[in-house]
Amino acid sequence: MTLSRMTRRALLATGAALTAAFALAAASVAADFPDRQITMVVPFAAGGSTDVVARIIAQKMSEDLGQQVIVQNVAGAGGNLGADNVARAEPDGYTILMGTVATHALNPLILKSTPYDAEKDFAPISLLVVVPNVLVVNPELPVKNVEELLALLKAEPGKYSYASSGNGTPLHLSGELFKSMAGVEMEHIPYKGSGPALNDVLGNQVPIMFDNLPSSSGHIKSGTLRALAVTTKERAASFPDIPTIAESGIPGYETYTWNALFAPAGTPPEVIARLNDSAKKTLADPTVAERMKEFSAAIVASSPEELGAHVKAEIAKWTPVVQDAKIQLD
Amino acid sequence: MDLVSNLALGFSTAGSVENLFFCLIGVLLGTLIGVLPGIGATATIAMLLPITFQLEPVSSLIMLAGIYYGAQYGGSTTAILINMPGESSSAVTAIDGYQMARKGRAGAALSIAALGSFFAGSVSTFLVAIFAIPLTGIALKFGAAEYFSLMIVGLVSSVALAHGSIVKALAMVALGLLLGLVGTDIYTGTPRFTLGIREYADGLNFVAVAVGVFGIAEILRNLEGEKTRTLLMAKVSGLWPTKDDFRRMFAPVLRGTAIGSALGILPGGGAILAAFASYTVEKRISKTPEEFGHGAIAGVAGPESANNAGAQTSFIPLLTLGIPANPVMALMVGAMIIQGIVPGPNVASEQPALFWGIIASMWIGNLMLVVLNLPLIGLWVKLLTIPYYVLFPIIMAFCSIGVYSVNSNVYDLYAVAFFGIAGYLLVKLRCEPAPLLLGFVLGPLLEENLRRAMILSRGDPTTFVTRPISAILLAIAAIVLVVVFLPSIKAKREEVFQEED
Repeated sequence: MTLSRMTRRALLATGAALTAAFALAAASVAADFPDRQITMVVPFAAGGSTDVVARIIAQKMSEDLGQQVIVQNVAGAGGNLGADNVARAEPDGYTILMGTVATHALNPLILKSTPYDAEKDFAPISLLVVVPNVLVVNPELPVKNVEELLALLKAEPGKYSYASSGNGTPLHLSGELFKSMAGVEMEHIPYKGSGPALNDVLGNQVPIMFDNLPSSSGHIKSGTLRALAVTTKERAASFPDIPTIAESGIPGYETYTWNALFAPAGTPPEVIARLNDSAKKTLADPTVAERMKEFSAAIVASSPEELGAHVKAEIAKWTPVVQDAKIQLD
Repeated sequence: MDLVSNLALGFSTAGSVENLFFCLIGVLLGTLIGVLPGIGATATIAMLLPITFQLEPVSSLIMLAGIYYGAQYGGSTTAILINMPGESSSAVTAIDGYQMARKGRAGAALSIAALGSFFAGSVSTFLVAIFAIPLTGIALKFGAAEYFSLMIVGLVSSVALAHGSIVKALAMVALGLLLGLVGTDIYTGTPRFTLGIREYADGLNFVAVAVGVFGIAEILRNLEGEKTRTLLMAKVSGLWPTKDDFRRMFAPVLRGTAIGSALGILPGGGAILAAFASYTVEKRISKTPEEFGHGAIAGVAGPESANNAGAQTSFIPLLTLGIPANPVMALMVGAMIIQGIVPGPNVASEQPALFWGIIASMWIGNLMLVVLNLPLIGLWVKLLTIPYYVLFPIIMAFCSIGVYSVNSNVYDLYAVAFFGIAGYLLVKLRCEPAPLLLGFVLGPLLEENLRRAMILSRGDPTTFVTRPISAILLAIAAIVLVVVFLPSIKAKREEVFQEED
């Protein structure tokens, strides 16, 4: 016991010393950062919404940094594999992570063991975008707004199910938060991603769904899905006619998906500053802004400190939701 | 008529010099990566996504689509020549295609695959054009209960896939189902059979397992003796199929096209399932089922047509609903969003040039493929004359690069090695790898949909028979089961085995 604790401490000390040494070495090269290509790890499969955001951002950042920013998809374990890879990467700024609400707030709360510490193992760079979620129903469900849905759910408790992109995803938690704040019953039906879930809602196999606004937006426009409300505090710029859940009888309700850039902890501050500066310039670019708007994503640039505070706030916000809903995965 | 003017718009879009050029690049690249074992369309399209940013939306989607169906063509080449499925959907082609190659009929097998694919591609492209919108309605009627019943049909039919002992075939299906359970349970989030390895949390990689049990196992088996090799080289002759071959491929191609077009619309491995289904059907209705597994022409023509037809029709849910049927289609959705196009039911009305342009380009691309590939067959067959000590290391290297590139996951490579050895042992035990792969593909879908249907019905199992489509599918499964175990047919089967032994 004592021995193992001592070994642990010795290891920690060595680790700290090594980190310091790396930091020193890195500081000297920070001036000409970057002098080779940067890998942006996306912890989800190519083609998904996080991947799309990453590719739009990486493209412009490459132009600004003068070095190629390569997107590498390391999907698996709900984003934990990719995040863990970056947490353990050399802290030199050449390996950065496209983090999300899943990797930096939900997974650490939901999973029994997360291989990394969302706050201690990462150096925040910048928040990038906030993507609203949306509550959609099949048009055959006889409800036009959140109030009518709540009435229906209360009239026949346990009859209706809702679909989400999977267990423990931000969309699942949006549904659980909705249930607990409104005091209604709905059975959760998890799918492997938004696509198959959307398919079953379109076919009215499952009548209700919480989805990312971008993935549902085409169906909302064409009327194949009816949007009842968005999950953000304010209405989405791309759909000003859709009310928020908070203004539809569940005050204080707010969930959204966010994307932010992280480097491994111990990355020199000069390098972080350079990356933050590049991310800011990228987000200010009109073509990027245009793409993000079409994608229903709101641009939120931030300082590294603000992102650090944001992660803390998100963990604090979701802790009671996860505990109330008793979501605990192995 | 609407269809004519729509198609005219499509062909004028796809026929522009620029779009023809990108279509050509797409199918060339697709063929190349299809031929290289392990390197799949998914990885290639993912790598090319950033480049498409600079192109016109139509051009980039035409190119990406070309890579996808080009890979289906190329994949069969590797499957036939070295028993290594270059694409997961050509795993079935390897069974009889490779046996044809071993008998010196590699050229004929390749021509049959190419011509069958072209026919299926042309027909299903028109199906996409005519029925894209109504067919979507059918796909939407498939809920969890219907999918479950469809998977049951698939599993029951898989018994017919085997050409050895029924017990061994069932054992292989069961092993496949068990392997399919590896990974996170989507309903509870519990990791199952992952041995505590987080890299397996999303299950074993299909390409890794397929490359292992088919390809690596075959290499190991070949290393046993150089003798079979020299035999193979000496007998390569006759690139073009004979009149008799044409006569025998005609009906399987038609049936394969029909099966592939139908299954391709359904999300989740349509093309793979179509190839397996077609093989099963051909073997079941063949007058000479004993030929299957020993180089039956129908065993190449049917599945090849089916997987190509499935590859084309899997664009239907993407184009009409914006819902991806497989990982490649998911990437296409990503490509569309990057271009500022929101995939969904509006694409056809808001972007008619894009919608019809892609459809027209598929037919042009299929034509390019057959024109490109027929002359190349002689070249591919020459591959067989490369000595093993050169060919094997190259194959192994490409496999490893390809498998790794999918998820950048080194544990996928360990899986290739493990299943290579396991596959070799299975060959020694005279167990077939094909039913194992089918079980592996269907197992997770079967479980996912069974449990989803049960949750949706709140625990009432009659949901499977009270829903009409599901009931019909279960009835088909029951009929297949009866037919397989009917005394007369059983006797015929046993006869067949005795001939084999």
